[in-house]
Amino acid sequence: MRVAFVGKGGAGKSSLAGTFARVLAGTGERVLALDSDPMPGLAFSLGIDRVDEGLPDETVEEYNDDGHRRFRLRQGLTGVGAVERYAVQGPDGVHFLQLGKAHGQRWDNTRQHFGFQHVLDDLPGDGWSIVGDLPGGTRQPFMTWGRYADTFLVIVEPTPASLLTGRRLARLAATAQAPRVVVVANKVRESEEVERVGERTGLRVLGAVPFDPELETADRLGRAVLDHDPQGQTATAVRSLMDVLLTGMEPS
Amino acid sequence: MLGQLARPGTIVVADFEAGLGTVMRLDGRPVDVVVVVVEPTAKSLEVGRRAADLVRESGLGRLVISANRVRDEDDAARVAAAFPGLDLLLVPDDPAILAAERSGVAPLDAAPEAPGVRALVSLAKGLLGPAGA
Repeated sequence: MRVAFVGKGGAGKSSLAGTFARVLAGTGERVLALDSDPMPGLAFSLGIDRVDEGLPDETVEEYNDDGHRRFRLRQGLTGVGAVERYAVQGPDGVHFLQLGKAHGQRWDNTRQHFGFQHVLDDLPGDGWSIVGDLPGGTRQPFMTWGRYADTFLVIVEPTPASLLTGRRLARLAATAQAPRVVVVANKVRESEEVERVGERTGLRVLGAVPFDPELETADRLGRAVLDHDPQGQTATAVRSLMDVLLTGMEPS
Repeated sequence: MLGQLARPGTIVVADFEAGLGTVMRLDGRPVDVVVVVVEPTAKSLEVGRRAADLVRESGLGRLVISANRVRDEDDAARVAAAFPGLDLLLVPDDPAILAAERSGVAPLDAAPEAPGVRALVSLAKGLLGPAGA
């Protein structure tokens, strides 16, 4: 299973992706969680305290391509090798690889950016599941940061702005001929909001995650919701999402 | 674009993309004030700290931290600990703002007297005062 979480900033991608990765790993799957957002996020949701440990600059080497400056993985290093070497081990056995995080006026992530992109083209295959947390917004996630995915979960909360982003992502997915793209209604307070999310985005609804005050508390404490409230509403809903995907059941 | 919009008597309010990318690319001092908006969560405070450091290093302008969705004293303490010595505006967690957001109505129209809205009005007025002029 290769799943990418996309949606508007603040919709809850990192919280759901981190919980999903750990729940999946808890079933015995080998899971690689990928954080391609240049701002810290997924590490907190996974319960990993190393929030800024991206690929080192020497992951790539520079070369000249007909007068153009290019980067490739350094000689002898493959994407799979980079994962083995640089991914952090997290709770439930999740492997976690992150893009380095932005800091300071002269931050330059050119080498990290290209290194991460090359790794995305050579991820571990058989026996691995990939769970990706993508940056917020609509910047072509299907062809760039999420190009490894076979399933995209568009995370939408029932606000006009989030619904609009979900709709635009749905259109982009059609243009990019992305594989399976479904929507998850997040922070749901009333059941009719789930229907609205499906109608307004034009996507099939994989499932819904209720508004969960315990998730807000976990976020404030800097803890993974799965550690803070393992049998709570968010964890339960994410387990249901995973079951639907694993059993191949058609979303509603 | 921000620099070109500057006119005497004109106030420009820009809502930037999430993260630091746009702020990092600002040059030529095109802004007077940068309002870093955070929530009292570990993730948001970490991002906000990075934004505040960047604004200070770059000398972009006056720095104000607006903490959104503050529920209680613990939340306020988390924000204060993350930004010692900085101007803080605490916006209370306000169901009226959430309801307005969900119905697609501007909070200022939906609930102008709600505590969260009043806090934001005070921010705007404060920036127009002597320190922000």
